[in-house]
Amino acid sequence: MIGFVIIVAIGAVVFASINFYGVKRKDAGTDEMQQIASAIQEGSKAFLVLEYSIIIKVAIIIAIILGVVVSLPSALAFILGATMSATAGWIGMNIATISNVRVSNEARQTKSLGQTLRVAFRGGSVMGLCVGGFALLGLAIVYLVFGLLFEQVAPENLLFHTNWLGISDIPFTMTVSSYALGCSIIAMFNRVGGGIFTKAADMGADLVGKTEAGIPEDDPRNPATIADNVGDNVGDVAGLGSDLLESYVGALVSAMILASYIYFSNGDIPASLVAKLIYVPLLIAAVGIISSMLGILFLLVKKVSSDPHKELNAATFMGAGLTIISSGIVSHLVFRSEELTTIHFALGSLSPWVCAVLGIVSGIVIGRIAEYYTSYDYKPTQKIAAASLEGAALTITEGMSVGMVSVIAPVLVLGFAIIAANAVAGLYGVAMAAIGMLSFVTVTVSVDTFGPIADNAGGISEMAKLHPDVRGITDKLDAVGNTTAAIGKGFAIGSATLAALSLFSSYLYAQAGENVVHGSAMMLNMVNPLTLVGALVGAAIPYLFSGLLIEAVANAARKMVQEVRRQFKADPGIILGTSLPDYKTCISISSAGALSEMRVPALISVATPLVCGFIFGAEFVGGLLIGTTLSSVMLALYTANAGGAWDNGKKYVEDGHYGGKGSNAHKAAVVGDTVGDPLKDTVGPSLDILIKIMAIVSLIAVSIFSKYNLFSLLMK
Amino acid sequence: MLYYYVVFSPIEALIASQLEPRMFGSYMARGSKKGSAERLMFAEIKGGFADHFDWDYAKRKCVSRPDGTLKHSLYLSIYRVIEHIPLEQYKDIYLVTKDGSTLGLSQEPYRRPDNWAGYGLYKEHCPVHPFIASSLEPKALADYIINDTEKKITVPAIIFNDVRRIDFEEKEKTGNIGSMFDRDLDHLIDCIHAVQNHEDKITKTIDRSFDSKFTYQIVDNGFYIARGKGILFYPMPSGEALKELDYDWGKSANIFS
Repeated sequence: MIGFVIIVAIGAVVFASINFYGVKRKDAGTDEMQQIASAIQEGSKAFLVLEYSIIIKVAIIIAIILGVVVSLPSALAFILGATMSATAGWIGMNIATISNVRVSNEARQTKSLGQTLRVAFRGGSVMGLCVGGFALLGLAIVYLVFGLLFEQVAPENLLFHTNWLGISDIPFTMTVSSYALGCSIIAMFNRVGGGIFTKAADMGADLVGKTEAGIPEDDPRNPATIADNVGDNVGDVAGLGSDLLESYVGALVSAMILASYIYFSNGDIPASLVAKLIYVPLLIAAVGIISSMLGILFLLVKKVSSDPHKELNAATFMGAGLTIISSGIVSHLVFRSEELTTIHFALGSLSPWVCAVLGIVSGIVIGRIAEYYTSYDYKPTQKIAAASLEGAALTITEGMSVGMVSVIAPVLVLGFAIIAANAVAGLYGVAMAAIGMLSFVTVTVSVDTFGPIADNAGGISEMAKLHPDVRGITDKLDAVGNTTAAIGKGFAIGSATLAALSLFSSYLYAQAGENVVHGSAMMLNMVNPLTLVGALVGAAIPYLFSGLLIEAVANAARKMVQEVRRQFKADPGIILGTSLPDYKTCISISSAGALSEMRVPALISVATPLVCGFIFGAEFVGGLLIGTTLSSVMLALYTANAGGAWDNGKKYVEDGHYGGKGSNAHKAAVVGDTVGDPLKDTVGPSLDILIKIMAIVSLIAVSIFSKYNLFSLLMK
Repeated sequence: MLYYYVVFSPIEALIASQLEPRMFGSYMARGSKKGSAERLMFAEIKGGFADHFDWDYAKRKCVSRPDGTLKHSLYLSIYRVIEHIPLEQYKDIYLVTKDGSTLGLSQEPYRRPDNWAGYGLYKEHCPVHPFIASSLEPKALADYIINDTEKKITVPAIIFNDVRRIDFEEKEKTGNIGSMFDRDLDHLIDCIHAVQNHEDKITKTIDRSFDSKFTYQIVDNGFYIARGKGILFYPMPSGEALKELDYDWGKSANIFS
């Protein structure tokens, strides 16, 4: 079984390599295009190298702590997780910066939307395949080495063991949790750092270049324009990739951990069944990757029409459809011979599959809801555009209204999925729903990465002053990328919620007293002041976290605005087009801003559960996780949808409504878009990671702080 | 090389410069160290005619600096400029956006607008700046403003453009027209009805000072320069033609998204 999983994971990486070199082989265009692309590539690489140099130090400290306090396998799994995530992010960003200019050149040479779409998608597929391949490969290695070779999944080891510090835990759960933590740390830095970078550059470029100087988007005279394009790669490619890789791993790991705890809490379950419950997530992930590869291949070999949205949807739906079919077969084959009533699988061998399908369907529904609230084809966004006629204040008010209203529908869908999955297969079913939602992550990330590549290609076409028809092609692909990004955000939030909930369930099970090998879950009592206050504090954390992120973006954007103004004033030749701006200084400002400002929010996400746990104990942290998860989900949906709606409201005006570009309505819509930018691209995505990283850290540390905490010490 | 430019928006001035038209446009819109960002329209003229302006002064003073850099601008006259410039002196006109992008328009023989609907909307640029509705087509309107001595107010010369009309029934899908029709559409419609339905109402002022709302997006058939009985016509390229001619200017002018 594990051999099959490893072969599939390696197959995905090989497929990624083929696509990587397939894109790299293509002509990179004129000297001017290559110079622009080279500046973007250098800026992106320089930022990621700096970011990774900080992450390495943090990761080494965490690995040492895990090695000393938990176990050596945990430390090694953590390093492996961080390495896999960082590698996927690096390769994905690399191919994005190689693809952008080739996409632009393909449009230049062929004047064909379909051909150009194919190159952009091939580039995006490298990130998608790396996310799926590296995540699964790492987890399979952890399972093979620590689970099978070191026998952590042997029945006698799926019990609480007490280490030299007197801390009790189930070794395998700690090992896979540490692997997930490694992925989470990279995701946190990539998302937060990339998010600050991209929005600081974007806002700086827009506020001075477009609004003050009146120069168009992606104009080479704007000193911040290269930084803006670099931001697309570090934020929307590396950041998004590591975010979804972490969600994917989080979902898989949460099911494996729950399976371990189910065995722990119920000694009557046969060991063979527990083994299947632990490895079936890996199998479903593997068939999901195969299905996604077929979806990707389908788009790469078929004759592509001139409707890019339809083509991308076809690849996604093919991936999802094949995943549904193949995971059903896997579920039935694995569980058909087992007695499943003891673990409350209501629909027999197909129970995990039904839960996975619930996840897939609810993911698609949440995506469609996000599209409804953020696409200008629908009323909510059109109303924001209409409100712009009355000025910026009403644009903001209407956008806030749309964002708030948009929260309820996806929450109800999630609620239905959770209740239904729980009814079908208990908490394990909820974890399977999360896996289902992310099972075809390979193709969804491919589609999501296509967006920033097309965006960059549009920028290069603009900067290189290519023929209007070429710019028309890249602009059209860019517009499709905006819609896919909004749908992708819905998926990211939904899957993060389910994964966090599963991890939270594991947290409740991860309690054991002295010398206990079997036990039951901790029951959280919401009228217990500790739990209640924990929930209150937890609900406030996402606001603190979000506020700091917005402040970070504003600080970096302010510096960018000042620099762009300085350059325009110091050298009038820049705006006249007779001398080149200093792009590198702007990239440095965004980099420095992102790297210095990301530390506190990242620290909050890791340290909060630890500090609270060591002071107030496990019940407080249980409340904390509930509060943080609930508050984050609402805030993430609100910020993502309000920001997306403001963005597309502006685009609706620019599309020739209410006076179009340059009208007063447009000025108001631009204000809305600018306000929404850090919300949708920095805050929302980072909140997804906040809830998962807090749940993972709590899960790993609960066995320690439930034993050692100040509150129980004082009570004694 | 010495150039003579008549700036007709946002000020009226005759300026000598060593910069060729596009560089002059960029310089005037952006300034040197001022950091300004100003939309600008001007015409190039031949110069050296008659003796109202001091052409010798221009030749004497508008020279390169010791370091070899060209002289950007030397003002020869401000206000009441165009009334002293014969039509045959005009060469191309130039439309400059806030970021200094410059589009040149060349003269063509005057022709009645193909899309004439019985009334026209006009934005006057020089010497006065109102936005008006009129029952007259451009040439007749210029003649009425300059030569109709029965009315109390005339101007000796005028520069204006005709303005795109919108579908008043479709208030949402306006196209890219900027802030021109943002407010008080009822008043605009009343003005149109006034010139359409009352024979004695030749023109009706919609807005006395409209410069801040004017954008190149709303130029319909083109620009007109009239003096005495003559008129020059500078057609505005269509969207498709502009795409080929100068796409970047079109983007800078918000004509293309």
